[in-house]
Amino acid sequence: MRTVLLVSLHAHGRRYAAAGIAVIVSVAFIVVIGVLTAGARAGLVASSGAPYRDADVVVDADPENSDPSGRPYPDVLDSAAAVALVERLGEDASPLGRVLLPARRADGTPLDHGTLRGETTVGPIAGGDALRWQTLITGRFPTGPGEAVVHVWDADSADLAVGDRVRVGEGTAAVDLVVVGLVESPSTWSQASFYVTWPQYLHWRDQPTWHVGSVAVRGDPGPLPAGVLATPAQVYVEENLARLTGGTDATALMLLLFAAVAVVVSGLVVATTFAAVFAQRRREIALLRCVGATRRQVLGAVCREALVLGVLASLAGTVAGAGLGYGLIAVLPSMDVPAPPVPWLLGGFAVGVLVTLVASAPPAWNAARVHPLVALRQGSTDDRGPAGGSAGGLLVAGGTVLLAQAMAGSDRIVLVVGGAAVFGGVLLLGPVLIPPAIRAAGALLGRRGRLATANAVRHPRRTATTTAALLIGVTLTAAVLTGSATWRTAIGEHRDTQLPIDVAITSADAPLPDELLDQVRATPGVADAIAVTGTVAQLPGWADPIPVVAAPDAARVARDGGAFARVPPGTIVIDEDAFRGPRHELSLRPGDPVAVAAGESRVDLEVVLLGGWGSAAVVAPETLARLTGSPEPRVLWVRAGDDADPLQLVDALDDLADAAGARIEDHLQARTAGEREFAVLTWSVLGLLSVSVAIALIGIGNTVSLSVLERDGEHALLRAIGLTRRGLRRMIATEAALMAVVAAVLGTALGVAFAWVAHVTVVLPILSRASLQVPWPALAAVVLGIGLAALIAGIVPVHRTAR
Amino acid sequence: MATDPIPAASTRNLTKTYGPVCALRGVDLDLPAGRFTAIMGPSGSGKSTLVHCLAGLEQAGGGTVTVAGTELSTLDDDALTAFRREHIGFVFQAFNLLPMLTAEQNVALPLELGGRRLDAAARERIRDLAEVLGVADRLGHRPAELSGGEQQRIAIARALVTEPDLLIADEPTGNLDSVTSAEVLDHLRRTTDELDRTVVMVTHDPEAARYADRVVILEDGRIA
Ligand SMILES: Nc1ncnc2c1ncn2[C@@H]1O[C@H](COP(=O)(O)OP(=O)(O)OP(=O)(O)O)[C@@H](O)[C@H]1O
Ligand SMILES: [Mg+2]
Repeated sequence: MRTVLLVSLHAHGRRYAAAGIAVIVSVAFIVVIGVLTAGARAGLVASSGAPYRDADVVVDADPENSDPSGRPYPDVLDSAAAVALVERLGEDASPLGRVLLPARRADGTPLDHGTLRGETTVGPIAGGDALRWQTLITGRFPTGPGEAVVHVWDADSADLAVGDRVRVGEGTAAVDLVVVGLVESPSTWSQASFYVTWPQYLHWRDQPTWHVGSVAVRGDPGPLPAGVLATPAQVYVEENLARLTGGTDATALMLLLFAAVAVVVSGLVVATTFAAVFAQRRREIALLRCVGATRRQVLGAVCREALVLGVLASLAGTVAGAGLGYGLIAVLPSMDVPAPPVPWLLGGFAVGVLVTLVASAPPAWNAARVHPLVALRQGSTDDRGPAGGSAGGLLVAGGTVLLAQAMAGSDRIVLVVGGAAVFGGVLLLGPVLIPPAIRAAGALLGRRGRLATANAVRHPRRTATTTAALLIGVTLTAAVLTGSATWRTAIGEHRDTQLPIDVAITSADAPLPDELLDQVRATPGVADAIAVTGTVAQLPGWADPIPVVAAPDAARVARDGGAFARVPPGTIVIDEDAFRGPRHELSLRPGDPVAVAAGESRVDLEVVLLGGWGSAAVVAPETLARLTGSPEPRVLWVRAGDDADPLQLVDALDDLADAAGARIEDHLQARTAGEREFAVLTWSVLGLLSVSVAIALIGIGNTVSLSVLERDGEHALLRAIGLTRRGLRRMIATEAALMAVVAAVLGTALGVAFAWVAHVTVVLPILSRASLQVPWPALAAVVLGIGLAALIAGIVPVHRTAR
Repeated sequence: MATDPIPAASTRNLTKTYGPVCALRGVDLDLPAGRFTAIMGPSGSGKSTLVHCLAGLEQAGGGTVTVAGTELSTLDDDALTAFRREHIGFVFQAFNLLPMLTAEQNVALPLELGGRRLDAAARERIRDLAEVLGVADRLGHRPAELSGGEQQRIAIARALVTEPDLLIADEPTGNLDSVTSAEVLDHLRRTTDELDRTVVMVTHDPEAARYADRVVILEDGRIA
């Protein structure tokens, strides 16, 4: 049997090429995920572990045995113990902690940087050089009180340079810090914007957020008080990493879902390949049985062929995946080159081998059951097997009931189970469902498609499996396209009411100059802008007066159609987001009465809180008339064009506002960031699914090509009785395209249906006004693209046969 | 001939039906050891069915088939396969050889399937058989490179390599011209004469039947 195995691998090996590629791709998919996960982990170790890199032990709170009093947060060191330890160890200790403090520039304006407004974080720096984990970029480290180094990113966003002064803290805690250097520090839980010497840090010890989370120690920390624990640095970093890498692991798990889809699809490709190859070799196998090969010998031989394929392809996939993964790590930020993730490599390899063996088992079993006398019979190699029709029907019926239940009860778990049942049922029904569908599609082609149609359905099971592979990918793609279109529209509408005004230019001091409106309208990227008139009014208990305006023509620029600005008389609408900051707590609640005072006038109004346009309160024109007789332009509301570059536009408007002494409030960047994030997510998902679609398309080309080999004699006969070479080519390519288009159309229909069910179950309960959006052009493009790809996949075997 | 004590193979009241079609309706047949028996009869009379049952390739519908003292219906599929490998050689009308193996590998196949090592003695025997059958110089070729007659003689060599008790040939010359037929038949004859094998051959050709010691006529599933 060895000879037979070797010789037949040699003779038929090339027919396994497509199956091999399918396995290689899905194994590589898994391995890439593994390598990237390891890379992200290594990146995390490098950044999170940085403060402990040169330490021997880490001293932190003992979670088992401690008294939470004397500590601002539950899992940080007792402050007194921390201070005592650092004082005792001096340069051998690096305290890690942070305090949140108000911050102002030398001119008294609040310091804004990153996400912080008028506040900053300050952390201690180690006394000795050895334990300092921040990298100096320019200047020097602080040597005494009143000096600080600033993280370069924060310095950048706050426009700080070496030599600048910043006042940190308020009242008696206030300290003027001179920036003496800029540093870079890896993102870790102890990252701060400002770093100061330990004595300086101690200055804020009584602030509520002041803490020392842990102390990195070089050498022996000596005797430690109760409630404090010393852990070897290595162990500490790894333990804490487990918490941090939760996110990485979740991502890996999500990616693995897509890899699983690819694995299933390649399993189907492998199954059809083996079914076709064994069908071609039925007579040979039967002859072997005649000559005295037992069933077990035949089974062993064909399984060994599958094993050889599985091992070689999985090996290639592992190598390719590792290569690709390490290549990506080199170009991706925040990743570090990891040690080879052995479990992932072995796992990917094992999955590849296993999938090949499992997928080839049914065809191998069929091959071993070939009756010896088949060797003597001319002719048919049809694989009419038992179709899983009744089981499929049951699954579809049961799944449909579950889906109905899910829609009624908004139950996501039932949704997933029901969806899986229906889909599995459809796959099982394939041999019953797909040939008639192909016949119907073929009938549209008329006489020219008759032969192609007949050929496409002559092995119903093989055809069904081939199409199923594509069906999976297309269904998921269609569902994602429809789902994301629906979600995007729904979120878009929601966002329109949350953020009605793209950019507001507001002046609380002087009225806006008249020419500003024209300048704004002339700015590239501005679709429209209106000047909103009003006055400046004082709210009781508020430090500063705010603009109060009426905006009857808000509809011109507002994304919600101006609904937020249609204010009934007697009320005042305030943008709660504009007045809520780290240091502000909006003192008003909806429905509160306020007495609004502008000049001599006073009007009692009722408060309504909304959000998304800026710091001008909006009232009805009648109300405004009672506040002032001469309204002046106080606010410009700007609507950006759809193709505007938000950064450039906001920059340009900022300059105009500065020149006019006004303030700019921008919601455009939040809007585009949200949209971009969603687009990235959608495209990533589609990209991940496209791997499966590509494998399935390879499968279609493969099935057609194998069938063509099988029908060599017939084709010669057809040519002999007058079919032109072009006719033959067209026939075979049509066959491939028929299968692909039927799978694509059926998959699209299923995908849209699933998306609708998911829409009713998941989206409607959250956003009740959202309607299902079916992106027909995109779906049509998918079907068309798949049809074309299949035509191309069919042309390769055509070239071989039509010679 | 009926006086021969132990037949190499025999059937008793052998019947076989395919759905409504009765291919065999009670066949009693003894194949004397060391003799060459020809089976003749009109098309569809059940000749192929009979030899398939003799070879254990087809299950008997009723009655018994005994080869080399073993009743085939007592064997399960694996045992039957092993039995066929050891005791029965088969030559078909066409498609006898695996196209991707060389002639020699085809001949050696039953030995290999039986788990025997292809030692020098086995190679020697293959060579001798090929010598007797006149295809010694064709052993390195693949079937596609052999003529029809050569293919059939390689098939005979393959059937004989395990020294079977019974060599069955179903129209082995059906696809051959008269000269080549004569060669193949001559070799089958020598198989009985020189190697002392029991041979049963199905044929339509009275000319071919003349090589046999005995001719059995089958008509409508019965021995006439
Ligand atoms: N697998 C089968 N299924 C159904 N009927 C069969 C099968 N094999 C043989 N038959 C029928 O059994 C009868 C005997 O067939 P068999 O092949 O034994 O005839 P034969 O004598 O060998 O004919 P020929 O000389 O044409 O080869 C025929 O009527 C044939 O149609
Ligand atoms: Mg016959």
